Amino acid sequence: MILLRFFKRYVVPLWHWYLAGLAFLFMTNWLAVEIPLRMAVGVDALGTDPEAVRTAAFTIGLMGLAVIAVRSLSRVLFFTPGRLVEFRLKNDIFDMLTKLQPSFYSKMKAGDIVSRVSNDMTFVRALVGFGGLQVFNVTLALALTGRMMMQLNPKLTLMTLLPIVVGLAFMQAGVFAMHRLTRLSQTQLSSLSDRILALLQGVQTVQDFCAEAAFQQRFEKENLEFMETNIRLAWVRSTILPMLGLAGSTCIYVLLVVGGPMVQRGELTVGELVAFVTFVAQLLWPLMSLGWLVSVFQRGYTSLGRIDQVLYAEPEKPEGSNPSDLPRVPPALHLKNLSFTYPGLETPALHGITATLPAGKTIGVYGRTGSGKSTLLRVLTRTWNPPAGTVFIGETDILDLDLDDWRGNTAVAPQVPFLFSDTIAANVAMGPIDPERVNVATFQAALSEDLKALPEGLNTVVGERGIMLSGGQRQRTALARALYRPANLIVLDDVLSAVDQETEQRLIDTFASIGQDGQQPTMLLVSHRMSALARTDHVLVLDQGKLVDQGSHSALINRPGPYRDAWSSQHEDPLPELPTDAALPAAEVVQ
Amino acid sequence: MNPAPNPTKDLDFQAIVSRMWPFAAPSSGLFLAALILTPVATAVSLVQPWLMKAAIEEHIEGIGGGTASQMGLDTLGKVAGAYLAAVMFGYLVRSTYSIIISIAGQRTVLRLRSHVVEHLLSRSPSFFDKRPAGALLTRATSDIEALGESLSSGVVTILLDVLTIIGVLVAMFMLEWKMTLLLLTVAPPLALIIELCRRRLRQTYNTIRTSLSTVNAYLNEQVNGMKIVQLFNHQQDSHDGFIERNTVYKEATIRSNVYDALMYAAVDGIGSICIALLLWYATDRAEVGITAGLMVAFIDYLNRLFRPLREFSGKIAIIQRAGAALQKVTGLLDTDESITSGSKTLTQVKGRVEFENVRFGYRPEPEYEVLKGVSLTVSPGEVVAIVGSTGCGKTTLTRLLSRSYEGYTGRITLDGEEIRDLTLDTVRQAVARVRQDTQLFPDTVKFNVDLGNPKLDMAHLESAAELVNADRVIASLPSGWQHELTERGGNVSVGQGQLLSFARTMAYNAPVVILDEATASVDPVTEALIQTAIERILERKTVLVIAHRLSTITAADRIVVMDAGQVVESGTHAELLAAGAHYAGLYQAGFDETTDQLARDTQGASADA
Repeated sequence: MILLRFFKRYVVPLWHWYLAGLAFLFMTNWLAVEIPLRMAVGVDALGTDPEAVRTAAFTIGLMGLAVIAVRSLSRVLFFTPGRLVEFRLKNDIFDMLTKLQPSFYSKMKAGDIVSRVSNDMTFVRALVGFGGLQVFNVTLALALTGRMMMQLNPKLTLMTLLPIVVGLAFMQAGVFAMHRLTRLSQTQLSSLSDRILALLQGVQTVQDFCAEAAFQQRFEKENLEFMETNIRLAWVRSTILPMLGLAGSTCIYVLLVVGGPMVQRGELTVGELVAFVTFVAQLLWPLMSLGWLVSVFQRGYTSLGRIDQVLYAEPEKPEGSNPSDLPRVPPALHLKNLSFTYPGLETPALHGITATLPAGKTIGVYGRTGSGKSTLLRVLTRTWNPPAGTVFIGETDILDLDLDDWRGNTAVAPQVPFLFSDTIAANVAMGPIDPERVNVATFQAALSEDLKALPEGLNTVVGERGIMLSGGQRQRTALARALYRPANLIVLDDVLSAVDQETEQRLIDTFASIGQDGQQPTMLLVSHRMSALARTDHVLVLDQGKLVDQGSHSALINRPGPYRDAWSSQHEDPLPELPTDAALPAAEVVQ
Repeated sequence: MNPAPNPTKDLDFQAIVSRMWPFAAPSSGLFLAALILTPVATAVSLVQPWLMKAAIEEHIEGIGGGTASQMGLDTLGKVAGAYLAAVMFGYLVRSTYSIIISIAGQRTVLRLRSHVVEHLLSRSPSFFDKRPAGALLTRATSDIEALGESLSSGVVTILLDVLTIIGVLVAMFMLEWKMTLLLLTVAPPLALIIELCRRRLRQTYNTIRTSLSTVNAYLNEQVNGMKIVQLFNHQQDSHDGFIERNTVYKEATIRSNVYDALMYAAVDGIGSICIALLLWYATDRAEVGITAGLMVAFIDYLNRLFRPLREFSGKIAIIQRAGAALQKVTGLLDTDESITSGSKTLTQVKGRVEFENVRFGYRPEPEYEVLKGVSLTVSPGEVVAIVGSTGCGKTTLTRLLSRSYEGYTGRITLDGEEIRDLTLDTVRQAVARVRQDTQLFPDTVKFNVDLGNPKLDMAHLESAAELVNADRVIASLPSGWQHELTERGGNVSVGQGQLLSFARTMAYNAPVVILDEATASVDPVTEALIQTAIERILERKTVLVIAHRLSTITAADRIVVMDAGQVVESGTHAELLAAGAHYAGLYQAGFDETTDQLARDTQGASADA
C-alpha cells in the first residue's frame, strides 16, 4: 500500500527514464552473453582455424567498447530518476512541513524530522535507483545468461545451480540479519543525532556549569552502543555475505569434476567449458545483488514508512469545513465555555472560559506561570485549534474560517522570539521587504536605536536563532515583525519581559496608537507587568486554566484576588490612570 | 599536515591516513594483525587460477590435445580438490581479515566522534555564533558516518586489493610474460578514464556534501521556526528557499552519477577488450603452448585483477566521500576558537570581582567597541545591579566575567587574580550564570538540574528546588524528578523552565551568581518568592544582576548605571535618586511614585530618602 502510493506518485511519472534505461540494460545483458559465446568459439578454433579466432577476437573487442557506452548509459538512466525522486520527495515533505501544525511538531522532534529527510531518504533513493536497476538486471541476466547455459548443457547448468542456491540461502539469511541490525543502527544514529543537537543548542549552559564531562559521558554511552551494532554488522558482512562468492568458486569445482569428463567424452567442447566458467562468474553478480535487493527493498520500505509519517501526516483541520469570509474589521471575540487540553495530557490547560473580548480594545491577560495564558493565545491564533463551538467572531466559529485567511489578519509576537538566520529586514517583513514599512515597524518596536549600533543596520544577518542580538533585541525584532503586517487582531505574548520600564511605556504608547483606517485593532497583551496591564482596557485573570476574574485594572485592584495580590507585591499605590491613547511623541523618549 | 586545509584543496589518501592515525593508533594491534594476514590472503587467492589451469590443461585437454588418459581423470579429482581447499581456506582468511579491520575501523570512528563532540564542547560562543547547529550536527553525524562507511563497506580491504593486483601481475608474467605485456597496453587508457572521473567526482562530492549540509541546516531552522512561518503565512517563501537549496544538491548528485557510471562501465568493457587481445595473441601461437587452460587461468587472473579495479572506482568514490567528510571534520577540529585557559587555581573563592578599565568589542574595529573602559568592583557578599537601556553593554560585561568571550583589554579579576590567568574550570565553578534564554535538555528533570554532577545528592537538589519554588513545577510533572523533558524543554512552560534553571543555578552552589534578566517571564508572585529566596541564600555571595524591574534593582546593595558601554553612575538607590542624574531619569520615566516593598525590607529606611 505504502509502496503502491509511492510508486504512483513518484516513480510512474518518470517512466520514460526507466524505459530508456531498460533498453540499454537489455543491450548490456545481451553483450554479456554474446562475449563468452564468441570466446568459446575462439578457444575451440585455437590452433585449427586462425581466421575464426581473429574474427572472434575482433568482435569481442568491439563488443567491449560497446559495453562501456551501454553500461554507462543504463546506470545513468536508472540512477538519475532515483535522484529526481529524492529531489521531489524532499520538496513535497517540506511543503507538508509548512502545513503541519504544532500538534504534529509536539510529537516529532526537529532532529527526527531532519533525520528522516536526510538518512531515510538515502534508503528510498537506493530503492528507486539501485533497486530499480537490479530488479531488471537480475531478470535480464537470468533470462539471457541462464537460458544460454541451459541451451549449452542442461545437466551441467543444474549441477552448478546447487552450490549457488545454497550460497544464496546463506546470503539471504545474512541480509535479513543485516537489515535488522541496520535498522537498529539507524535508530541509534537518530538518537545520537538528537543528543548532539541538544548539546549544541545548549552548549553555553554546559560550559557555564562545567558539565562537559557529564554530557560527554552520556554521549559516550550511546556512541559505544552504536559502535557495537556496527561491529555486529561487520561480522555478518564479513562471514555470511562472501558465502555467495564461495558458492561461485564451488561451481567452478563442479565444472571441473563434472565438466572435465564431459569434455573427454566429447559432450562439451573446451571452449564451452571456458564459456561456462565465465557465465557462472557473470550470474553471480546479479544474484548477489538479488540478496541485496531484498535488503534495499526492506530498508527502503521501512524508511518510506518513516517518511510517510511526515508526508501523509494529517494536517489538523487546515481549513474550516465551511470557510467563511472574514470581515475585514477588528474582531470581537466571544469565548463560550472554552476548554482545551493538550494531546497526551490529562489536565486541561484551559477550563470553561467564557468571556467577550470587545473589538478594537486592548485586552490584558494576567496569570501566574502555567495558568494558561499562552495556551489561550495559541488557541485564539489557531496555532492549536480550539474545540468546535467555543470561540466565535460574531456568530462565526473561528474554526469555520480559512486558516491562512485568519492568520493573515492576525499578527503575533510569541513569548520566545524565533528569528531566522537572515537579515533583520527579512525577519521583520517575512516576505517582500518594503523598506519604508520596515523602518516604521522597527521604530514602533523601539528597535531603531539598536539598529544604528549593528554593523549593517537592517541588513545585519542575525545568525542562527538571532544569536547576534541580545534577548531584548530579539524580542523587539519579533515585535517589529508583528507590527509590520497590517492586522486586525494583534496578539503579544509577554513581549515586554526583556525591555526596561522606559521602553515598556513607550511601546505601550505605540500599541495604543496603532490602527488602520482609523480603526483600532483588537489587541491581546499578556504581561506580568502591572505597569503595562494598568493601561489596558480590560484584563482577564487566569489561574490554573480558569478565568477567575476579569474587569478593568482599577476594578481589579480594588477587589481581593490574585490580581490585587500581585499588584500589592509590586506597588503600594496604584498608578494614575493614563489615557490609553496618549502616545508620547518620539522626541520625548529619553535614550 | 596542513593545520588549516583550504576547503577546495583535496586531501589525498596519505593525508587522510595521517589525520586519522591518532584515532586509529590505540587499535594498532588489530591493524597489525590484518597487515600480517594480507599476504596470506593474497597468496591463497593467486594459487586458485593456477590450480584451475593445471586441471584443464593437464587433465581435461590432455597435453598436446586429443584424449586424456584414465590416469588424467583420476588426478583431476585431486587437483580440483586442492582448488576447492584453496577456495575454502581463502574464505576463512578473508573473513578474519575483514572482521579484524572492521572492528579496528569502528573503534577509530568511535574515538573520532568522541573527539569531535569533546572539541565542540570546548568551543567559545563566538565559534557557535558563526556556525549553524545543523551544519555542526552534520559534521558529528553524517560526515563521521561517511568515514565509518568507508571503513565498514570494505574500503579497508584496499591494501589487500593493491597486493592482489601486484601478485596477479607477477603470476601472469611468470605464466606468459609477452601476453601480459600486451594486456598491459590497456592500462594507460583505463587509468586515464579512471583518473579523469576521479577528479570530477572529487569536486562533485564536495559540492554534494556542502549542499546537503545547507539543505539540512535550512530544514532544521525552518522546522524549529515553523510556528512563525505559519503564523505569518510565509510558507511559500520558506518552501521556495528549500527548493532552491535542494536544487543545488540535486544537480550535483546527478553529475556524480554520470562519472560514477562511466568509471564502472569502463573497467567492465576493458575486461572484454583484454579477452579479445588474449585471443588475438593466441591465434598463431598454439604451437608455443597457448592452451585453453592457460586462457582460463588468464581470464581468471584478469577477473581477479579487474574486480579490485572495478571496486576501486566504488571504493574511491567512498574514500572521496570520506575524504571530503574528513576534510570538513578536520577543518572543524583545526579551528581553535576556544577560550584559553589559564593555569592558576583558587582554592577558596571569596567572590571579589573587579573590572578595571575593560574595553571589548565583538569585532576588532574600534567603531564596534561595546565596552568602552568599564571599571567596577563587586565585594564579596555584595549584590550589584547593573541597569541601563538595551545595548549599553550589560550582558557583554557579564559574558566576559563568565569567560564566554575573551579578547578584552584592561583587567577582570576574581579575588585579585586576573581571570585569564585562572583555569576555565576555576572561573566557571566560581561564577554561575542564569541566562536570558533558558536552555533545557531532552533528559530527565533531575539531569536538567544537576547536569550530571555526581557530587550533588538528592537532598541538595531538593532543597535547591524548594528555595526557588521549582519544587512546585517538579511536583506537577507526571514523574517528578524523573520526568523526561522533550526537545528544548517543549513540555514545560517558559516560566517553569526558568524555575528549573534557577534550581540548576542554586544547586550548583557557586559563590558568584550572574542573573541576566532571568526573572523576566515569571509572574510577580513567583518572582517575589524567588527574589526572597535569592536574597536569603546569597547573603554571603557575590551577585551581579541585570534586571529591568524595580523590585530587583532596589534589592541590590549598589546600582551601577551603564550607558553606551560605560559606567555613568554608581551608588545605592537612594543616593542615585538624590543625585538626580541618569538613574533618576530612568526612574522617573517608569517608576515615578512606586516604591518596592521588598527593596525596603532589604535596604532599610534608606529607600525612602
